[in-house]
Amino acid sequence: MKYFKLPDLGEGLPEAEIVEWHVQEGDEVEVDQILVSVETAKAIVEVPSPQTGVIAHLFGAAGDTIHTGEPLVEFAGGEDADSGTVVGQLSQAKSTESQRESFIIGAAPSSRQAAHQSTTPAVRSLAQRLGVSLETLRGSGPGGRVTAYDVERAADLDQSFGAPEPLKGVRKQMAKAMAQSHAEVVPVTLCEDADIDHWPEGTDITMRLVQAIAAACQAVPDLNVWFDGQQLARRPHSKIDLGVAVDTEQGLFVPVLRDIGNRSLDDLRDGLNRLRADVKARSIPPAEMQGATITLSNFGTLAGRYASPVIVPPQVAIIGAGVIRRQPVAVGDEVRIHRVMPLSLTFDHRAATGGEAARFMLALIQSLSE
Amino acid sequence: MHEISYQGEIRLTRYLNDSGEPLGEMPDWACGNQPWVGYYQQMVLARQFDTKAISLQRTGQLGTFASLLGAEAIDVVCASLMQAEDVLVPYYRNHAMQMIRGMPISQLFLYWGGDERGSATPEMGRDLPNAVPIATQCLHACGVATALKLRGEHQAVLTMIGDGGTSKGDFMEAINVAGAWQLPVVFIINNNQWAISVPRSQQCIAPTLAQKAIGAGIRGEQVDGNDAIALHEVVGQALERARAGKGPTVIEALSYRLSDHTTADDATRYRPSDELKAAWAREPVARLRNWLHSQGLWDEAREQAWQTETKQLIESAVATYQAIEPQSVDEQYDYLYAECPPGLAAQREQARIRQQRREQGGADHE
Amino acid sequence: MSDNAITLLEAVNLALARALEEDPNVVLLGEDIGTNGGVFRATDGLKARFGERRVIDTPLAETMIAGLSVGMATQGIRPVAEIQFMGFIFPTMEHLVAHAARMRHRTRGRLSCPMVLRAPFGGGIHAPEHHSESTETLLAHIPGLRVVIPSSPARAYGLLLAAIRCDDPVVFLEPKRIYRASKTLIEDNGEALPLDTCFTLREGSDITLISWGAMISETLAAADQLADEGISCEVIDVATLNPIDHATLVASVSKTGRCVIIHEAPHHGGMGAEIAATLSEQALTYLQAPPRRVTGDDTVMPYYRYEQLYLPDVDDILIAVRETMEYSG
Repeated sequence: MKYFKLPDLGEGLPEAEIVEWHVQEGDEVEVDQILVSVETAKAIVEVPSPQTGVIAHLFGAAGDTIHTGEPLVEFAGGEDADSGTVVGQLSQAKSTESQRESFIIGAAPSSRQAAHQSTTPAVRSLAQRLGVSLETLRGSGPGGRVTAYDVERAADLDQSFGAPEPLKGVRKQMAKAMAQSHAEVVPVTLCEDADIDHWPEGTDITMRLVQAIAAACQAVPDLNVWFDGQQLARRPHSKIDLGVAVDTEQGLFVPVLRDIGNRSLDDLRDGLNRLRADVKARSIPPAEMQGATITLSNFGTLAGRYASPVIVPPQVAIIGAGVIRRQPVAVGDEVRIHRVMPLSLTFDHRAATGGEAARFMLALIQSLSE
Repeated sequence: MHEISYQGEIRLTRYLNDSGEPLGEMPDWACGNQPWVGYYQQMVLARQFDTKAISLQRTGQLGTFASLLGAEAIDVVCASLMQAEDVLVPYYRNHAMQMIRGMPISQLFLYWGGDERGSATPEMGRDLPNAVPIATQCLHACGVATALKLRGEHQAVLTMIGDGGTSKGDFMEAINVAGAWQLPVVFIINNNQWAISVPRSQQCIAPTLAQKAIGAGIRGEQVDGNDAIALHEVVGQALERARAGKGPTVIEALSYRLSDHTTADDATRYRPSDELKAAWAREPVARLRNWLHSQGLWDEAREQAWQTETKQLIESAVATYQAIEPQSVDEQYDYLYAECPPGLAAQREQARIRQQRREQGGADHE
Repeated sequence: MSDNAITLLEAVNLALARALEEDPNVVLLGEDIGTNGGVFRATDGLKARFGERRVIDTPLAETMIAGLSVGMATQGIRPVAEIQFMGFIFPTMEHLVAHAARMRHRTRGRLSCPMVLRAPFGGGIHAPEHHSESTETLLAHIPGLRVVIPSSPARAYGLLLAAIRCDDPVVFLEPKRIYRASKTLIEDNGEALPLDTCFTLREGSDITLISWGAMISETLAAADQLADEGISCEVIDVATLNPIDHATLVASVSKTGRCVIIHEAPHHGGMGAEIAATLSEQALTYLQAPPRRVTGDDTVMPYYRYEQLYLPDVDDILIAVRETMEYSG
């Protein structure tokens, strides 16, 4: 039940006498509808209803004296309107606000890695004056803090050669991934040539390479594994998911051709074409570039003979194929001119032995020679 | 027309005169060996401790010390009548009580030697540490008593305050709530006539301090604080009443502060020397010794033996005190919170470094 | 008990009831808290439910309430004392500073003082003189004393439970302006919130708004408006003023590089100054603009006719944020 108590109708008026009720019990009343006329020591005052509702009870009749704070009217239903304070007024909740609260205990996840460059206010102001973007600088001070010297040197360079272009997008990702790989992997590269003179005209070279890698992985499974350098643990894969390096104007993409050991040539070719098209159209979903178990870099379509391509952990091997060339080879005791494909196999020596890598290379050459 | 709504009276209990002779016929319980010889021995020990503490302070081996000189009977009788499970809520002049309740003398020296570990002594049980801010202990005693009452423990809480402390609101609020809730507290006022330099006469116009109890509606009485026999009766009855759930008592024990307020004070600046001289004629230790002599319970030989024994006890406690290793700097940080918060842990780390640096002498300019 | 949308005041009541139920050592004491249920009704119904030995009406003496709580707490009782208004907390200071805050320290752990002192505080309810001040900084300065301020029903419930279960003395200050200002769903599951951490109410990237208590309402409202202007505000409720979780504040401001600290209490020597000083010690090299404070002025808290002028409002926060965003070194 909700009570409307006689408010102080003036400053410190202790009581009022009921002159006339304007409503009856059971009436429905609106906000500000006059309920009652009362006479105080100062005047006759009309007291309006503080709320909409149904009158359950009227306290007192005409001629009765009501003290300030005593109930005047009882409204039907609702909560006890006891405002619960001997002093002041508390603002009341609207009944609509009843969601559950959500908040983070402690710092937000995004706060755990500070984004901005560390520097002093003086250097920040210097950078602003010289037009140097702090975000492009590598601090030489303690804890990587950008110093005044760093800012001045950058300003000099900018003046001589123009401002540096910060890396963006794929190129930025490449820079990070390669640097991380370089810091972690122990790479060894093995080079060999495959004699492909017997290949008929029009052979799909990439598909032959894909097939040969599948054959080599099946013959020597030691390189189709993931390696966890923290735990020092190997995770062998029975399925072969081949990363295929694709060069574009925007940078390096490596989409993944799935399960190359169990698919037909045509199917694989279709798949690769689709991946390449998606890369070109920049519509390839990130999932299509994740989860490779071994990688092929076919730089031979452009230029170059041997290389030491970079392994991206957790993979442990990458195969590079150079430009196919005609060159003298020894066939029995004779020198002939044959078409030859130069091959480079880079493996992570933490995860595989030189013997395993050599046997893998042998299996690869054998498959290509068939 | 007028009528009398209330009339109070304050009783003063004393059995021995200044020289330890009976003021009248002694009650039966006052005759015999027990517990007077024990009281006397503890009072001698307390006085020896006091003397030693002052000399340690004067030689830089103890910090500022608040002497108990002249209040030995009050402390010894109160502590002796308390049960182990009763709780003592002391102020800063209750060394003898703490000693009798089990605190090793070396720990008492440790406390006054500026080391909080003195208040960590396990023998103190659930007794509170010394209250240095005046009169606050009276409210703590009420809180302890409330806890005992809530748990249904029928034990008493005893707390002590000086005459000056009774002018503070805390005392008035404490006796008020102790009365309202009938708490098992015995409030002892050690009225030693001086609050540092302010004499009792300037503290309060009321002829007795015990009558403040009347305003709180509780029992209040006076006792000669130099008379161990009178104290035994009055304090004993108050503790019994408290344990029996019959409410609190205020006991104003009349004594005289024969010492300075503390070792940092010089009472000759404000205290008339003939007043001090007169007070020495009433002091509690000699008075009880005279009574024991007259009863044939004590003699010169026993006196000599006990003086020697206590001296050895005190000396051995001093040696123990001096051999205590200094506390680690960590202790200043580890007990503030149940678990040391990260900000404080960082300060603790800095403090360790600072301590090392100071031990090695001077700032490291590297 | 099931889910229920309740006010901050009801959350306090719920947490008190929970604490009384789960630990027989928990005892409430204070003026008018029993039969009357407290002047704000924080203890409404608790005496009837738990009896007069657990919910105790005391004589009218704040020093006594604090001193008694200290004594009780040393004996293993967990007193939860109410001081009717923060304006009347000053007589308790001697017991808080000289005893409660250092009981464990000075007895090297032999005794401790697990008490809670609750008090409604802050302005904005048209109260008489001496009823509207925010003097939390006085308390937050005391080593060994925890000072906790909830800013919502959920945090009131979780933090009060934590305060009562805490083995340290806690001053729990309840922002009375928002006692009944909003309702949220709360599950009475007895789960406490941590006392030694801030709460991130809103994640953002451009600027960190730091506040506590009733001013959280204005701060969140400002953050909403600023989002429309394209300014992404992180809003942090400090919640525990001592010992304060500087790590969260430093992490956030290191990310955003900017901050505005909002409190109702006076400017001079306020907690805002402490936070700004710590940010300058620990996050200086990430700051893009000086930390800014939006606070009450260094005047006496006005009697109610002028209290709205004294209290920081949403506009004050908007102006400070915009100026901080536009700041250039």
